[in-house]
Amino acid sequence: MMTKSVTTSNLAALQMKYFHQFQQRRIHVQHFTFWGELRPQHLKETRVILQHSGMIDPREIQEYLAVGGYSALAKALAEMSPESVIDEVLRAGLRGRGGAGFPTAKKWQFTRNSPGLPRYLVCNGNEGDPGAYMNRLLLETNPHSVIEGMAIAAYAIGAERGLIYCRSEYPSTIQTMETAIEQAYQLGLLGKNILGSDFTYEMDLARGAGAFVCGEEGALMESIMGRRGEPRVRPPFPSIRGLWAKPTNINNVETLANVPHIILHGAEWYAGIGMENCSGTKTFVVIGDVEKPGIIEVAFGTTLREVIYDICGGIKGGKQLKAIQIDGPMGGCLPSAYLDMPISYDSMQAVGSLLGAGGILVLDEDTCMVDLARYFMEFTQGESCGKCNPCRNGTTHMLEILTRICHGQGRLEDLDMLEWIGEYLPQVSFCGMGQAAPEPVLSAMKFFRDEFEAHAVEHVCPVHHCRMPIHAMAAAA
Amino acid sequence: MVHLTIDGKHIEVPEGTTVLRAAQQAGIHIPTLCDHPHLTPYGGCRLCLVDVKGARTLQPSCTLPATEGLEVTTVNEQISDARKFVLSMIFSERNHFCPYCQVSGGDCELQNAAYEQGMTHWMIQPNWNTYKVDASNPYFSYEANRCILCRRCVRTCQELVGNFTLGVEQRGAASILVADLGVPLGESTCVSCGMCVQNCPTGAMMDRRAAYRGLSADAETIKTICTGCSVGCGIEVTIRDNNIIAINGDYDSPVNQGVICKIGRWQSLEAMDSGVAVKTPMIRKNGELVSASWEEALAFASKAIDTTRQSLAALASSSLSVETLYAFKKLFVDGLAIQSVSASEMGKYTNAQKSLAVTNGVFEGHLSALNNADCVVTIGEDLIHQHEVVGFMIKRNLPKGTALICVDTDGSAYGNLPNSVIKINPGTEQQLVKGLIAGMVKLGVKSCACDGCKNPDQVVQDAANATGVESTLILDAAYILGNAQSPVIVYGSTVTSDVDASTLTTIKCLSDMISAEMISVKGNANSVASAQFGLDQPVDMHTAKAAVIVLGDKQPCDELLNAVSKVNTKIVFSAYQNALVETADVVFPVNNWAEEEGHFINMDGTVQKRSQILAANGQGKASAQAIHDLAAQLGFSIDDHWMEALQSTPASVTIA
Repeated sequence: MMTKSVTTSNLAALQMKYFHQFQQRRIHVQHFTFWGELRPQHLKETRVILQHSGMIDPREIQEYLAVGGYSALAKALAEMSPESVIDEVLRAGLRGRGGAGFPTAKKWQFTRNSPGLPRYLVCNGNEGDPGAYMNRLLLETNPHSVIEGMAIAAYAIGAERGLIYCRSEYPSTIQTMETAIEQAYQLGLLGKNILGSDFTYEMDLARGAGAFVCGEEGALMESIMGRRGEPRVRPPFPSIRGLWAKPTNINNVETLANVPHIILHGAEWYAGIGMENCSGTKTFVVIGDVEKPGIIEVAFGTTLREVIYDICGGIKGGKQLKAIQIDGPMGGCLPSAYLDMPISYDSMQAVGSLLGAGGILVLDEDTCMVDLARYFMEFTQGESCGKCNPCRNGTTHMLEILTRICHGQGRLEDLDMLEWIGEYLPQVSFCGMGQAAPEPVLSAMKFFRDEFEAHAVEHVCPVHHCRMPIHAMAAAA
Repeated sequence: MVHLTIDGKHIEVPEGTTVLRAAQQAGIHIPTLCDHPHLTPYGGCRLCLVDVKGARTLQPSCTLPATEGLEVTTVNEQISDARKFVLSMIFSERNHFCPYCQVSGGDCELQNAAYEQGMTHWMIQPNWNTYKVDASNPYFSYEANRCILCRRCVRTCQELVGNFTLGVEQRGAASILVADLGVPLGESTCVSCGMCVQNCPTGAMMDRRAAYRGLSADAETIKTICTGCSVGCGIEVTIRDNNIIAINGDYDSPVNQGVICKIGRWQSLEAMDSGVAVKTPMIRKNGELVSASWEEALAFASKAIDTTRQSLAALASSSLSVETLYAFKKLFVDGLAIQSVSASEMGKYTNAQKSLAVTNGVFEGHLSALNNADCVVTIGEDLIHQHEVVGFMIKRNLPKGTALICVDTDGSAYGNLPNSVIKINPGTEQQLVKGLIAGMVKLGVKSCACDGCKNPDQVVQDAANATGVESTLILDAAYILGNAQSPVIVYGSTVTSDVDASTLTTIKCLSDMISAEMISVKGNANSVASAQFGLDQPVDMHTAKAAVIVLGDKQPCDELLNAVSKVNTKIVFSAYQNALVETADVVFPVNNWAEEEGHFINMDGTVQKRSQILAANGQGKASAQAIHDLAAQLGFSIDDHWMEALQSTPASVTIA
């Protein structure tokens, strides 16, 4: 391991040196990946943040340098002021990839303008949605792209300390990230006077303790500070009063991974990808009843039909598509009528859902929507932190009712009860989790009400998935 | 200031006020459960939802900051429906079947809120989980089946008491209140202050003595003070039918701001419950104590005093009221001119301050200084076990970054909480304080012109040698202290018992250097008054032929019993039967703390009045009255100019 620090002047030479080593090595190690799910790029995919994943060894910083790594940081430090970095990201139209799609540059601006020092930068890697592993793959195949993005973001907002919050269910991610941070320190890409400039940025890794709700900004900060992972009262927002009561900026892993590309290639290039008001690409993990499930990266504006039928090879066994579930355990179900909808934050909001972090669950005709709703409610109920009464108890009651319905012990009033709880939870819950908790149930009831009624009233599961009492089955026969 | 409209009412509040507080100030009622005026807003129960014009959904008023031009509606159908939903969720969570609960019928905030919303039932069945009752604490039990997880107790334990015992384990629907890491309350670090019981909105935290003794609605509440120690906490006593039901902290009291300890809440009642009252005056006849009338007893006592005046000793408890101590002083010091007169502590907590006050005047500050302190130094006083409320005031500020430096011969009673624990050799407090002063000079954080600080290295080294503490530790503490903006020094009997006040003079020098507030704890409820009346001289009871002992409602300590064991004639004023009463020759029944009123001067000089709470029964008289009667029998009359007498001697605190 070399110990000489990298500076702006010798970066290019080092990159070239490692590139030649890398070229020789590449003959022997093609598609270096821990992940079978990362397949060769499909024609309809646009790979920006995943472009080097699988091509380089994440355990060696030299390989990242060989593909031009840390050039964006060098460019930002040498040629750009923090304001112009923020401006570049603003013009690129980068929106937060955590799910809500808030403009990243605006968030940075708020933190930068907020009084109080030091400021903190936190990378939110608490990816908890069942079946989603976009952040995990990115962090495990190209950790330095996130570190570089964080360094640029820290430079832009004037933060001297950064933390990446990683869930402890990802031990190999933590290992990879720790190695990467250590190597970046050794090369002087983190720490004091980065790349010979006067910019100082210290970075560390914080482990989660297995709570989904710690992906919520307030709970995440509480968790980092060693307290119980419960959301905080907002306002004040983290940009005003965050970690240890100092201004704190929290961005998703994927958001930060986009930053080096924007700085390197310019805002105009980035804004050219995707749609207007929703530029760039988004990684998705497509799971469920498709021929080729796995991780994909597509430009915004790609339709669900292209994702499911072209990139992922269509529904398994040639069956019919029943529904698509986006935005993890708290997202809504979309029936097949929405297949031609282009994927973007705004289009999703228009149909009453959020884009979410990037899980797409594809369901074929054999799926029982009631049991699916029950499954998601089981997840949410188990992950509710218990701080606010409506989420803690509302999810418990909804799960109880759904379980009852799935066991053939439901009654028609149960559906009214589900709707009653589902109506109030979004209004009265403390954080986004409780507010979105009934969404899978409500959307499934909206589009597949007949299935719920069959379960609750006739005690029959139309797709023969739920185990019903014998007398009900006999009556139906 | 920001302006907002609540229910059409224009309200002006300071910036940072929540909508709930703004409404409360304007007299608009918003139902709440997890909110408590003395705790930080939590936003957990969601009952205080209000309609804010322009907001997407209903907003919880307890956490919503008031902003300019906000338009809030607190009552409409949508809000009422949402509140019913919220209440239904709470009622269906655990066992909320009201008839079995001791607070049902008016004392339960959950039940009251439901009635207020017009609820007669809830639509969802409860989940039928059962939880164990934790009855391991002698004073209160925790009934988890009634808990609504509002975290008021948890926040109380953190923010008011600073004990951090209570917390919540598990998450979501499995959340459960635990002490420490899930041990029974009785085995936990709980100090039984009972503040959680006082703040619990339902019947989950149950005062074992007060439970099922009726509702506070048909009881009377009287504000008074606790006279358990020299802090003088404000308390609210709930009584019914001349019985005390419960004692709670008085949030309006400027001294303790609501926080009290187990002595004030439970142990003072325990003593009253278990004490056997002296009902009538008693005289020893033929070796046996027999009942007598007041006249007989007074005649007997005055005769005994008259005949043994030359070798008489008189001792009064320093927990008695100012009036009693004044009458005692007037009779025995001014009237009978007896040499051996004192109060029970004999100046242990006041000697040094009194000496220093002669030259310095008032130099000690108020307890409230602790609330804003960024560094607290405690010297020679265990505030975890004595004067607990002062300890609470220090500990609860530690999470805000207040530094704590603990100087003691036994190490730290605070566990690992202090930033610096300095364990010194006995009797070396003065050297350590000198070391701290020199340390600050050496580090250059403060300057001092006195001779001792000419060679700070040497002084620090000397201090280290004398106290047995490493010099780096002294310098660390000096650095923390020297950089503090509003430091407070709290010291106790190891400093104050010294008549020469040498250690205290050094502490005063330190305090002047860093402009710190000085606070000393003073033992009993009226130690300051005793000292001001001159009742702080050491008295040798062994040589006395007769002794007058005014115990009030206190029990005699072993030392006192030993000291008076050889005394021939003992005249005792006591509220309860005890070992001293059994050996006495004349016993006068006096009232206990709840039955007599009087004034008390607490450790920071605040003069407070203790009210009479219960009507006295039996022939007992107020202690002051009993002494007045004895004086009259002896031919003296006693005035009531105690305030002038108090202020005639220089004191270390402002007596007001």
